[in-house]
Amino acid sequence: MGDDAEEWLVRPFVRRGSRLSAILDTDERAIVARVVADVGLLLGAEPFGMDLESREPAKSDDLFSNLRGLEDSLAEPDDPALLRLLPNAVPTDPEAADEFRRLTEPDLRTLKAERLLRVWEQLSEPGPEWEIEDTEAMSTAGALTDVRLVLASRLGLVTDDDAEALRDEIESAMTALGGETADGPTMDRERVWIGMLYQALTWLEDSLIACVMDHETAGKGENDE
Amino acid sequence: MGTKVVTSRATDRESRLDDVWVTIVWNDPVNLMNYVTHVFETYFGWPRAKAERKMLEVHRQGKSVVSSGGREKMEVDVQAMHGYGLWATMQRSGS
Repeated sequence: MGDDAEEWLVRPFVRRGSRLSAILDTDERAIVARVVADVGLLLGAEPFGMDLESREPAKSDDLFSNLRGLEDSLAEPDDPALLRLLPNAVPTDPEAADEFRRLTEPDLRTLKAERLLRVWEQLSEPGPEWEIEDTEAMSTAGALTDVRLVLASRLGLVTDDDAEALRDEIESAMTALGGETADGPTMDRERVWIGMLYQALTWLEDSLIACVMDHETAGKGENDE
Repeated sequence: MGTKVVTSRATDRESRLDDVWVTIVWNDPVNLMNYVTHVFETYFGWPRAKAERKMLEVHRQGKSVVSSGGREKMEVDVQAMHGYGLWATMQRSGS
């Protein structure tokens, strides 16, 4: 994965007519595409990037055939990251929670996996630009949210203060790398790496939503209420 | 959240008029303020000012009741919120 703590050079989403585009270098695109695919796997989708043509004809071309049969085992997920994507809807009533899960979980998994697949496809197109139609903005933001939820769970971010602390942690890790403070704070390189990825995706998502909302405000002239 | 609700589960699947549920959105460190605002605007059809007010309630007070009604309607709302990645739960009104 190259040098773990390299700065992300992501350029945030900007609007060009009806299209929104961000710029990521080749490595960044590859990293984001991979983590998007990983979250797809976590949700039970078939691996992204399996060449559709190379599939055996006997096999279903349904990317989510792994999802079948889940109806039989719709217990609350053990993995806290997956549980955050598919939360307990009725904590006060286990029976109602189970019923909700049984009724909604397959659809939710499919919605999220399809959204992630679409982002993966966008990132797999050649060139440095990540371009989307503005009609896809919210589903892209939803996919980014899901990826960030999983990363945040892996990073142990539970409160707003945890997120704040992560920023400080990364900053001091970067400072330690810049200078030669060999005895600087002991940092977990993998944690810093995931943290920086999390932050880069946060900037991207924030810029994406800003593009959408600014456009709507401008289109409307005055705000209601 | 320590209150145990005692109900007769077997028969109350069909909504009764007095069986009011609420959908609650909880704060989390991941969801962006502008994203939550925009989700509220698009899903609930609220004007921006109201969407922002409810978003800030979630952010500052840790949670906000975003809708109320019959159980099945609340299931739809909670599922939609989960679809967007927001942390939402439902419970009987007043419980």
